[in-house]
Amino acid sequence: MELQDTYYNKSEYVETASGNKVSRQTVLCGSQNIVLHGKVIVQSDAIIRGDLANVKTGRFCIISKGSVIRPPFKKFSKGVAFFPLQMGDHVFIGENTVVNAAVVGSYVYIGKNVVIGRRCVLKDCCMIEDNSVLPAETIVPSFARYSGNPAKLITTLPEATPDLMTEFTKSYYQHFLPTTVS
Amino acid sequence: MSQNIKILPGATVCEDCTLEGDITIGGGTVIHPRVTIIAEGGPIIISEYCIIEEYATIIHKKAETQETPPKPLFIGAHNVFEVACKLESFFGHIGESNVFECRSFVGSDVKIGSGCVIGAACQLTVPQTLADNTVIWGSEHHNREALEKQPTQLLQLDFLSKVMPNYHRLRKPNIHKRLPSRPSQDTAK
Amino acid sequence: MAYLTQPDYVKYICSCGQLKPITNLYFCRHCLKIRCGFCICHEVDSHYCANCLENMPSSEARLKKNRCSSCFACPSCFHTLSTRATLARDPAGGDGKPPKKMYYLSCFNCRWTSRDVGIPDQPVASGGWPERTNPFTTRFNQLLDYYKAIAQQEKQEKLDKERKKFVTRGKYINLTDKTGLTGAMARNIAGLPSSESSSSVISNFVPSQASPDVEELPDDYHLKEIDLKQITRISQRTSCPELQPSLASRLSPRPRALCVKRSQRCRACDHNLTKPEYNPGSVKFKIELLAYYHVPEVKIISYETIKPGGTSALLLKLSNPTAHEMTVKMLQPEDVPDQEDEHKTIEKTLEKSLNLEKDISWNASFPRRPPPPNAGSVNLPAVSLTLAQRDDAAEYDDEPPGDNDDIILWRKSNKLALRLKLTTDAQAKVGSNAYFSFALQYSYRNTVPPSATVVQHSDHTLYTTLILDLGKVCE
Repeated sequence: MELQDTYYNKSEYVETASGNKVSRQTVLCGSQNIVLHGKVIVQSDAIIRGDLANVKTGRFCIISKGSVIRPPFKKFSKGVAFFPLQMGDHVFIGENTVVNAAVVGSYVYIGKNVVIGRRCVLKDCCMIEDNSVLPAETIVPSFARYSGNPAKLITTLPEATPDLMTEFTKSYYQHFLPTTVS
Repeated sequence: MSQNIKILPGATVCEDCTLEGDITIGGGTVIHPRVTIIAEGGPIIISEYCIIEEYATIIHKKAETQETPPKPLFIGAHNVFEVACKLESFFGHIGESNVFECRSFVGSDVKIGSGCVIGAACQLTVPQTLADNTVIWGSEHHNREALEKQPTQLLQLDFLSKVMPNYHRLRKPNIHKRLPSRPSQDTAK
Repeated sequence: MAYLTQPDYVKYICSCGQLKPITNLYFCRHCLKIRCGFCICHEVDSHYCANCLENMPSSEARLKKNRCSSCFACPSCFHTLSTRATLARDPAGGDGKPPKKMYYLSCFNCRWTSRDVGIPDQPVASGGWPERTNPFTTRFNQLLDYYKAIAQQEKQEKLDKERKKFVTRGKYINLTDKTGLTGAMARNIAGLPSSESSSSVISNFVPSQASPDVEELPDDYHLKEIDLKQITRISQRTSCPELQPSLASRLSPRPRALCVKRSQRCRACDHNLTKPEYNPGSVKFKIELLAYYHVPEVKIISYETIKPGGTSALLLKLSNPTAHEMTVKMLQPEDVPDQEDEHKTIEKTLEKSLNLEKDISWNASFPRRPPPPNAGSVNLPAVSLTLAQRDDAAEYDDEPPGDNDDIILWRKSNKLALRLKLTTDAQAKVGSNAYFSFALQYSYRNTVPPSATVVQHSDHTLYTTLILDLGKVCE
């Protein structure tokens, strides 16, 4: 099935020159440390914690409502450090999902109500199903589909995942339209 | 509802929070933005060195048989409430050094000792008592007893209380009685 | 990705008769046939650990029982263990030496640590973790040697038999010829000593003995209160079959199982369909013959509810994934011309590539061309449609929506939206699945020359049948 249009209130969203669409109802802490690489959608009530460490996303990322993007910390013998959080291109993050990962690769699909534990590494082309919990420091290999609490590998993804994910995020962006104002 | 929010010196409380009712926040505690603490059934007392992360919700619910004066909900020191966890309680006492992981839910009538870990997305709804050092995880709510207490987050608190004022509007401490006591656990590890 | 999050609304019929979404299909450029995971040959390319992303040669992997040598899984919850460092205080210390770093394993999911079961901390991060030895190692090795010897012997006998066949073609069919019973087995059944060629391993082998004496259960077995935190769960026991610890204090870290990269091969022509890059972190392929890149893709845009005896509108999107112009024509599934049966070739190559003993029963049990389930028919236009080639730059152009007519709703670079009418059978049961099927005839330009001598590419006309799932038949 083709994606249906998603409408948003034009006054609620800010569109940047590079095509990022960011809701005004978000909490972007330390916005100078947040880099959205273009055509990224950040929906209402999402929180990005740039104050803790740098957060970088690639192009065509979708950060849905109520999700929290939070750089992870690690304890050392002489204090803690928050690690920068890097995200590749064409990443989808579902509603009310908490991402504490260190690295999220490209072409990654994360469902809704998911918890990605601290310092997880999600390689390119992987999928975390809705309502899963990925315990801290999990490494999800490419083409893996994880589900459950704690999340386990359940199956593999088709070889064409990069193209499917590219098409999905691009068409999501194209179908994310302002409500027609008179 | 009477608004009576007491913030002790050394606490870092973001302004972008919903705090309602009679709430006391101990020194050294860090409250991240978008936290909801509602004390409708009685006061909530949060001790020192707790971390309460985004979208965490702590509600002191109104019991059907309300006592007068209402008993407080006391939360011990060094507790960590991770992102989007929810704690509902009529009243009671929550021990020290517990970790409420992301999206966990602790219903009313759950008594929690010290050093417990409520795993991510675990839902505790049935009346029960968690012994010290209980770890609950997974969709099947497996539990086991940890060997030792959960390590303290003092180093993280140090970092947060240094960094957060640079980026957030904070609520000012409004009680100046005494300095927070020394950390009760040593900073080993 | 809509494919991964939604049910499969459009399914293609593979050349083996399976119904699969286009993302799970392959396209063999040499046979010009659609293949699926069921009818191709899967091969292990390389072993790697999904945690440390370290490649392991297959010989080493076999030696290590397909487990990583540096990563461990938690014996309590099966999550990967992390190595954590602590500063050990020298118990005898006090002589001013800096504290030494010691490492232990810890699970971030259930908080299990290697200290829980008394495994001492290690001075190096990468391991040296004590391994619990399997109490039955010697017996296992005996059994292994025994079966190896038997296999060897049977192979030899088979060779001998084959040689004999050529020499003396007896008049009578031997019992062993007919049943596949080997000489050794026949002798065994008859209780005769095995043939003179048997090695010492076989003759010295002692089969295990069942004993009627079973240890009595302790008297308080049913009365003793059980502490569930002290004993292990079934899954924890079965995760370690050789030890099967019954007490939580006997759990020990398990080396993590390896993953494989696999390549896929067409069974009919033995050409590779997919071949991944060697690097475990890479998501690229050296060969990637997917149906998604070669077969016209059909997507449902929208449809009206399906009512028995009624007609409903259906909007479809067709796209051409290839780099050449494509002509597409829609047909009724029964109008697809019969293609030559490839049954036999598959049989032969199956045997060849998989070393299967003529077991192709699975092949026969699946009808080659199942009748597509139909709740009605699609009224198909009798025109050929031309789909432009894929152009990645096209999305940046603002081209005017192309020609519209009764059938074509819009046209955008390599995509085309169609407006079709469905006629539902008057007998269609309310509440049954509304399946509709149609076939596509499409032109395909094969850019792979069949041999080095022929340079120009060849054009083909190919067929594929699809099934659309349009929910349920409504009242």
